[in-house]
Amino acid sequence: MTTERESDQLLVERVQAGDQKAFDLLVSKYQRRLMRLVSRLVHDPAEAEDVVQETFIKAYRALRHFRGDSAFYTWLYRIGINTAKNYLVTQGRRAPTSTETDAEGAEGFDEADSLRDINTPESMLASKQIAHTVNAAMEALPQELRTAIVLREIEGLSYEEISEVMACPIGTVRSRIFRAREVIADKLRPLLEFPVDKRR
Amino acid sequence: MDTNETLRAHISALVDGELPQADAELALAALQERDGKQAWDRYHLIRDTLRATPAPDLSPGFAERLATALAHEQGRLPSDRGDLADGNGSGSGGANAVTGSTGQAAILANPGDS
Repeated sequence: MTTERESDQLLVERVQAGDQKAFDLLVSKYQRRLMRLVSRLVHDPAEAEDVVQETFIKAYRALRHFRGDSAFYTWLYRIGINTAKNYLVTQGRRAPTSTETDAEGAEGFDEADSLRDINTPESMLASKQIAHTVNAAMEALPQELRTAIVLREIEGLSYEEISEVMACPIGTVRSRIFRAREVIADKLRPLLEFPVDKRR
Repeated sequence: MDTNETLRAHISALVDGELPQADAELALAALQERDGKQAWDRYHLIRDTLRATPAPDLSPGFAERLATALAHEQGRLPSDRGDLADGNGSGSGGANAVTGSTGQAAILANPGDS
């Protein structure tokens, strides 16, 4: 039985031997996962899709140099994240880094307040508020915290895999994920400590 | 990092199954306390919420556009191009533009990966 990494490596070797169809199989396998990841960094879906396309083209160009030291998908994600970051720079929408924007200083979310009056069942409203708050907090996170928690929570990567994708030590991964959770949890606190049915 | 924060960092790693064995006892003890239990609950709430949030789909024309771009690449890639210098092959490509769904070709101008 082959692991996912091994089966990817088989396809990579076929591409390296000139089999274009093998690359199509890798595209088919990873295109949606890559879109899910990139769309957390580049919010406009059409622009995110351009970044996904560009990522695959870069991967295709570079694949003959890929030695398999890391898994194909961690290598692909790394290209995707770098492509997204470069895209944001070229568009003048550079994502904040932790050195520029303190995670503690992430903006408050007044939109959550405006949702409190929507006339829906309160449990539904609470769930919507939580989802809104979590996603708004995610968007306000410094880019490297957001990338780390997306790779962990949405893509399900291990700390070691994330360290490969983000080219940083495992301890840094652990710290980034924790800091991201702390910022988001802090934004959730008012919703959880003062539930919607007790705020009046 | 104060003691409570350190314990919450342990709990965060525990949530991910990434806590070193040496710290497990401390983390489990912290979970008996209100602050630790609350952190555990909130970290899982965040996870569940993020995983429940749908991602945008690729547009119907994506596969065709990418296939066209890759066919173009296949036709222009000589065997020994020297523009992929990165050790593990994640280096930048050349300066060729491919127009994507938004009609923007600037991405490829200076990709600068890694």
